[in-house]
Amino acid sequence: MVEKMQDAEDRLLESMFQSEPIVDDGFSHRVMGRIRRQIWVRRLALPIAMILGVAIAAKPAVQLVTIGSQVFGSLATESVLPNAALASQMPVFVVVGLGLAFAVLTFRLFEE
Amino acid sequence: MALFRKRIINNAASHAGAADQYLVARAVSAQDTAAFGELIRRHQSQVRNFLRKLSGDASTADDLAQDCFLHAWNKLETFTGRGSFIGWLLKVAYTTFLQSKRKSKRYAEILDEAGYAQDVQNKSYTQPSDEVNDLDKFLAVLSEEERAVMVMSYACGLSHREIGAATDLPVGTVKSIIFRGKEKIRTEFDIKDHKHG
Repeated sequence: MVEKMQDAEDRLLESMFQSEPIVDDGFSHRVMGRIRRQIWVRRLALPIAMILGVAIAAKPAVQLVTIGSQVFGSLATESVLPNAALASQMPVFVVVGLGLAFAVLTFRLFEE
Repeated sequence: MALFRKRIINNAASHAGAADQYLVARAVSAQDTAAFGELIRRHQSQVRNFLRKLSGDASTADDLAQDCFLHAWNKLETFTGRGSFIGWLLKVAYTTFLQSKRKSKRYAEILDEAGYAQDVQNKSYTQPSDEVNDLDKFLAVLSEEERAVMVMSYACGLSHREIGAATDLPVGTVKSIIFRGKEKIRTEFDIKDHKHG
């Protein structure tokens, strides 16, 4: 404003351009609502994508592990026995892992 | 839940007297939405007024103002604190307005290509049908760029340097645009006889 040289015409224009302040009337509340929604969507996008990815990959992964255990099963019994026992428990591990991941993410969301 | 609400209210109250720069720093570093909410409350009137004068339509301007604040939140870390916050905010508002214009122009072109005539392209400034005051008439004779610069200068009180930063124009160009705008208004109207806008 300091650099502006104001003559009578400038002052007149300024008075004409001036208008009454616009009442908020819930405007800032609406904007904040949109911003909060955007923040939530961004926070949820990665965990949801991760959970979906794990859920989609779980079945093929279990099948892969089962096949692997069968392959190992054909090897010498003494050395493979513990692995085969583990492989039969694999679906339980996957479910527990998913549950843990979900619990951690839920905890994080509540913390936020 | 009540405790959470109380915390939000307390946060908002503690931000009420803080400087814009401090609120921006809070919003950027701590993702403090209450601090940004205070900035919105402070500047919504000026931003909406600017966009209303630029577009000539209150509801369009309010939609654009919402988009503007959303963009501002997403780009808040780019505010260096060198100029005023309202200057930076009006730059975001002007960019949002130009983007929306470009989109509606492209929309009109697509409709035109498809064989549907649409009056979107020529809708640069909509005069309110009832209660057309002198300011609306003035703004209607100005080009989009002139309108933006004149409104920033006379309605928002920005310095030529701030307008230059907001519109990405050199200060000399800003001065000549203002001169040209005043010349147009002078040629078209007798500005001494007017109703206040």
